[in-house]
Amino acid sequence: MPIPTESSIPPLKPALPGFEHVKRSWNNKLECYAARIMPGEYYVTKHDEGVCTTLGSCISACIRDRVRGIGGMNHFMLPNTDASEADAWKAASLSASTRYGNYAMEHLINEILRNGGERKNLEVKIFGGGRILQNMTDVGDRNISFVRDYLKIEGLHVISEDVGEIYPRMVVYYPVTGKALVKRLRSLHNNIIADQETSYIDSIKEKPVGGEIELF
Amino acid sequence: MVKSASELVTDIGGLVSLPEMYLHINRIVEDPNCTTADIAKAVSKDPSFTLRLLKIANSALYSFPSAIDTVSKAVSIIGTSQIRNLALSMSAARSFAGLPNELVSMQNFWRHSLLCALVARHLAKEARGCDPDALFTAGLLHDIGELVLFNRLPELSKEALLLVLDSMEALSVHEAEQQLMGLDHSDVGGELARQWKLPPLLEECIAHHHRIEEAKRYPRETALIHIANIVAQMAELDSLSLGDVPAINPLAWEITGLDEASLEPAVREAQAEVAEIEKLFLDI
Repeated sequence: MPIPTESSIPPLKPALPGFEHVKRSWNNKLECYAARIMPGEYYVTKHDEGVCTTLGSCISACIRDRVRGIGGMNHFMLPNTDASEADAWKAASLSASTRYGNYAMEHLINEILRNGGERKNLEVKIFGGGRILQNMTDVGDRNISFVRDYLKIEGLHVISEDVGEIYPRMVVYYPVTGKALVKRLRSLHNNIIADQETSYIDSIKEKPVGGEIELF
Repeated sequence: MVKSASELVTDIGGLVSLPEMYLHINRIVEDPNCTTADIAKAVSKDPSFTLRLLKIANSALYSFPSAIDTVSKAVSIIGTSQIRNLALSMSAARSFAGLPNELVSMQNFWRHSLLCALVARHLAKEARGCDPDALFTAGLLHDIGELVLFNRLPELSKEALLLVLDSMEALSVHEAEQQLMGLDHSDVGGELARQWKLPPLLEECIAHHHRIEEAKRYPRETALIHIANIVAQMAELDSLSLGDVPAINPLAWEITGLDEASLEPAVREAQAEVAEIEKLFLDI
C-alpha cells in the first residue's frame, strides 16, 4: 500500500459547530480523516470521514440518517451504583446512574437531528461492553442492557452490533456510508483502556450532569 | 535522554536473574562428558522442577504412549538439550515476577507468550529443519524485553501504547516504542539474552522477531517466531482471519516454507492446549 505523500492528503473539512475540539487526523491505514473520541465524548459529521474510538466496558452507539448521510458516534458508560445505596434507594440511584447514558444517547441523536437528520431515517449500530477486567464482571453487561433498553423505548432499530465478551475493541464508523469496522484488541491494551474509562467515570462523578435535556 | 538497551538490562540486574537451577543444568548440558544420569541428578535437586518435568513429559506436548514415572525416563525421552530449554521456560515466569509493571497483568503477558510458544512448537513440526522444543522456548521468551521496558520506562511505555491506540493500530507497538524511545522491546530482549548468555537461537529470535531480515544465524527460527507471534494474537482474539492481526512479513513465509494453510490447525491446537500448559509453566 503506497504511503500518501503530504500533497495527496486532502484538506480537512471544518467540523460541525460544537465539535471543533475533537481531535481529527489523517490515518494512513484507513486512508481518510478520522475523529478520535474518548470516553464521554461524541462526534457528529456530514463529511466523508471516520469516527473512531477504543472501547473496553464502555458502549459506543453509532447512529446516522441513512438517507442524508449525517451521523456520528458516542462513547459512554454508566457509573457504578454503590451496592448499599442501590439497596436502599434502588430506583433513585438507578436513575442517577442511567442519566449519564441518557445524556450521551440524547446528545448524539439531537445533534444528528439538529444538523438535518430525520428521526424516521435513523439506523443504529452498537459496540462495546466487553468484560476486560476480571473485577469488572457486570459493568459491560449493564451498559449493554442500558443501551438496548434505551433504543427499544425510543423505537430505534439496531441493524448490527458487536457487544460483550472479554475483548477490548477498536471501532471506526463512517456516518456517510454507515460502514463500521470493528477490531478486537489484544489484552496488552486492557489496562490502558480501563484506565481511560476509570478517569472518565471519576470525572463524571465529580461533575454531575444537569437534569434538563433539550428534547427535539 | 533515553537509556540504551544495555543500560536498561544492567539496571534490572538486581531485580531479576536466571535461576540457579537453570545455570546448574546449563553447566552440565554444556559439559561434553555429561550423561543422562548426571542431568537427572541435577533435576532431582529441585523438587518443584522435577514434578513439573514429569507432568510435562506426560502431557499432550509429548503424548508418549506409556506413563513417564521417573526423572531419568523423562530426561531420556525429552532429551538433554531440551531439559535446559524447559528449565529456562519453567522458571521464566518466576524470575520475571521481580519486574512488576502497571501496564499489563502478568497473566495476560504470559498467556500471549505461551500461545506463541505453543503455536511455534506446532509450526516447527511443519517447517523444514526446525526444533519444536527450542522454538517453544523462543516463543515463550520472545517478548521478554517488554517486561524490562514496562518496568524501567513505564511512562514512555504507556505513551507508546497510547500512540498505538491513537493511531487506531496504524502503528504497531514496536514502531511506537522506536518512535518514542529509539529502541523497542526486541532490542532490549535481545540484549538481555546476550547478557544472560542464553543460547544464540533464543537470542536471535528474541532480538529480531519484528525485523527478521536482521537474523543472520537462525533466520528460519526467527521467521517462524515472527509468524507465531502474530498467529498467537489470532488465538487470543479467537479469530482465523489474518485481517484481524498485524501483517506477516512475506519473507517469513518464504524462509520457513510455511503457508497460510498451517495457521488454522496451529490456532486451534494452541487454544486447546493453553489451559493445561499454563498450569505447568506459569504457576509460580
